[in-house]
Amino acid sequence: EERITAVHAFNTSLIYTRSFLEFVDKVNERGEGVIEIDVRGGPEVIGLSEQPDAVRNGIVDMAYTAASFYGGTVPERDIMVASNANAIYARESGGIDLLNQIHQDKMGVYYLGWFDSGVSYNLYTVDEPTIGDDGRLSVDGLKLRSNPVYDAFFRDYLGAEPISLPTTDVYAALERNVVNATGWTEIGLADLNWDRFLNYRIEPSFFSTDMGVIINLDSWNALSDEAKAILQEVAIEHERDSALTLAEDAKTQRAEMIDNGMQIVDLQGDVRDQFSESAREATWNRMRGLMERHPMGLEHYDSLVEMFNEL
Amino acid sequence: MRIASKAYKALIDLLAIIAGAMLVWLMVAIVLTVALRNLGLQPSAWFFVSTEYAMFYLTLLGAPWLVREKGHVYIELFTATLPKSFLNIHSRAVSLFCVVVCLVLAWKGYDLVMQNLSRNDYDVRAYFVPKWILTIVFPFCFFLMATEFLKFVVGKDILHSGEAGIKE
Amino acid sequence: MMEWYFALGFLLSLIVLFMGIGTPIALAFLAANVIGSWYFMGGQNGIIQLLNNGFGSLSKFSLVPIPLFLLMGELFFRSGLGMKMFNAIDQLMGKVPGRLSYVTVVGGTAFSTLSGSSMGSTALMGSLLVPEMTKRGYKKHMSIGPILGTGGLAIIIPPSALAVLLGTLAKIDIAQLLIAGIIPGLILALFYIITIWVRTRLDPDAAPVYELEPVPFLAKIKLVLTDIIPMVGVMVIIVMMMLSGLATPSESAAFGALGVIILGFVYRKMSWGVFTQSVSGALKVTLMAYLIVFGSATFSQLLAFSGASSGLIEWATSYDLAPIYMLLAMFGVLLLLGTFMEQISIMMLTVPFFFPLAETLGFDLIWFGIIILLALEISFTTPPFGLLLFVMKGVAPAGTSMREIYTAAIPYILCSMLLVALMIIYPPIATWLPGMIN
Ligand code: NA
Ligand code: NA
Repeated sequence: EERITAVHAFNTSLIYTRSFLEFVDKVNERGEGVIEIDVRGGPEVIGLSEQPDAVRNGIVDMAYTAASFYGGTVPERDIMVASNANAIYARESGGIDLLNQIHQDKMGVYYLGWFDSGVSYNLYTVDEPTIGDDGRLSVDGLKLRSNPVYDAFFRDYLGAEPISLPTTDVYAALERNVVNATGWTEIGLADLNWDRFLNYRIEPSFFSTDMGVIINLDSWNALSDEAKAILQEVAIEHERDSALTLAEDAKTQRAEMIDNGMQIVDLQGDVRDQFSESAREATWNRMRGLMERHPMGLEHYDSLVEMFNEL
Repeated sequence: MRIASKAYKALIDLLAIIAGAMLVWLMVAIVLTVALRNLGLQPSAWFFVSTEYAMFYLTLLGAPWLVREKGHVYIELFTATLPKSFLNIHSRAVSLFCVVVCLVLAWKGYDLVMQNLSRNDYDVRAYFVPKWILTIVFPFCFFLMATEFLKFVVGKDILHSGEAGIKE
Repeated sequence: MMEWYFALGFLLSLIVLFMGIGTPIALAFLAANVIGSWYFMGGQNGIIQLLNNGFGSLSKFSLVPIPLFLLMGELFFRSGLGMKMFNAIDQLMGKVPGRLSYVTVVGGTAFSTLSGSSMGSTALMGSLLVPEMTKRGYKKHMSIGPILGTGGLAIIIPPSALAVLLGTLAKIDIAQLLIAGIIPGLILALFYIITIWVRTRLDPDAAPVYELEPVPFLAKIKLVLTDIIPMVGVMVIIVMMMLSGLATPSESAAFGALGVIILGFVYRKMSWGVFTQSVSGALKVTLMAYLIVFGSATFSQLLAFSGASSGLIEWATSYDLAPIYMLLAMFGVLLLLGTFMEQISIMMLTVPFFFPLAETLGFDLIWFGIIILLALEISFTTPPFGLLLFVMKGVAPAGTSMREIYTAAIPYILCSMLLVALMIIYPPIATWLPGMIN
């Protein structure tokens, strides 16, 4: 039996980690006698920003991580962030295969699958957000907590300079109104207890998560064809399953939030479209800018945009 | 030779002064951020990122100076029981061990910088910063730490006092 | 891959050996890391990973309060403002034996409500109080002990970043967990006060009773107004900033340092020399502590990576024992891991095992959370390797030995143990207050 070691970016209390561990169970079940994934742990084993390098250097064979953590190496990962589709679509369109090829060329890792896709982000606020005369969200009085994923959008579109805070400080910061707005995914807000302070959710949601599994290319090539087949097959299944399950979760959790007093602020008409479009465009611009710095240049830009978006 | 040794000493001092300035920067950056934020302005995320980087830089830039100042703590339960003559040898051996550890880290630190350069790595936070700008201090500072420990191997002074409680 | 107990034995022997022969603590960790990562992470790349991990663990905003609290303490002490304040307190409290030790506990407890960082708190109190008290003839254990004790209070008494993280990881109500820490924290402070009282009784020389001129009432008022209120005011302003949401707990440390600088100018005690000396003093201890953080954080990761720590946890919780023994087993694991590992890593490792188990054993999870925090706090000050002990060594006056620090810590560790015992016998200590508020 072949063994590969794995780490995951977040601690086990997050829904995304649990999704990955399900994938591992499926592989270990179906691959019995052929392939086993040995999970070494989460960020307590290797810090989350150090995990991609650990896979590249062969310290571990596999990592389940956000592509954002290696966005400098593979700027094309932004195509997932800005996608308006999900992994099911991108797998069929050949987008993930292309992304896998880019990962192999630029980073020496095999991109096994885009998990938990289609989950998007919302902006949540403590106070009722002000909508200007133009129908746009006003940045006045907004103390916005940031995240590298949506920094570009908040800066370019809203004109807000986001406040960086370590995740452990966010609870206290929201409690004391040091920040009064933050982005987070559609789901999992209650896991962090932040819903205690946040009262408004601005819609539409934007972006998509970019969680996925990378494998050291040498480790991948050393696997038997049978092991490779099982890994890839289960990964494609899990891409589909996780996208569908989380889409369901997003619906139920939205309803739960509303039951618990969260108010939905829906942007209207042109502004609504503009909001989603500028989120995407800010991200594409960033991606283009970074891609140009690499020898590969903009070679795959157009195909990626096409394959990852239902236009 | 004397000029070289003076220049070397000045270099260690200079690095410590930079580290001290970074420590003061932590205070300034945070005070500015909080002040701007409460004035309703949107302070640049650079303030925050710079404090995170400053803590890394100052630790390494000040490290050789800390060795020279004998600012490291160690457990003297065993060394205090050694007779003077034996302590002299033991302490130099421990310092030599430290030299080896620092040299290994300096060497691998150099490899890391080369890797960062050839792979064009970035540190991804609110901004994308080329990784080598950060990791460059590893080979540099661990090497200087090694030379500072080396002074306790071959120099007049040794690292340990041998007297529990009467060191520093 | 090695069996977990070999991995654990191997890594722990390395660190014990290196520290035992007198290698500087930070270097002992680094040396063990070099060997360990070479072995477990596959040769040279392992050492490169070690450096990457070290970068990750140092460039974290949560470490920011430590240098700033140190700077605040140094400025306070070197400008002479600290001396003024302690003289005033001395005169006000008259002949109470060990009065500054009580002041330490009260001040430290108050400070814990400000700080969520044990290391920052210990660093500040240590650099501020130990030199002053030593000058006044207090034996070292009378200053070092209470400070180590109250340093740990910072993670029990809210706000506490560690409690918030535990709540998140264990999926228990964070607000309730924070509130649950208040009563145990105050009881612990009370135990510390009793300990001091007993010690001044047993050994009157520990805190000298020196003759003081009786101070007339008006002079006392003047002392309070000029020497005490301004310094306490700095603390109060910081707490207010935090409570009103002007700054986060981590940010507030910067205002402490700024406040003392301003006071220094007001009292005409601030000069370039005082400032540079203070920065240099704060830098020295920061470097010492951060290099240890660099080493120990990566050592924690190595223990986790090698499977040593998870093996230990699974083994200790695999037996089917009575609930009380299971609790003690978990407590023991936390103490052992806490000796060598960094607290956040310990929580991430143990929570997924301990909380489901605690639930099946029928424990109240909020109560259990407080016990976990207490275990982490105790392990932080447990000889020979508790991190706070080294921080204290860094800030204590020249000539303080590790042995003195160890012996000073022990009574206060016993206080925490006693509190845990009381909480087991009488759980409402932790569960009553959050229950009231619900
Ligand atoms: Na204690
Ligand atoms: Na606290």
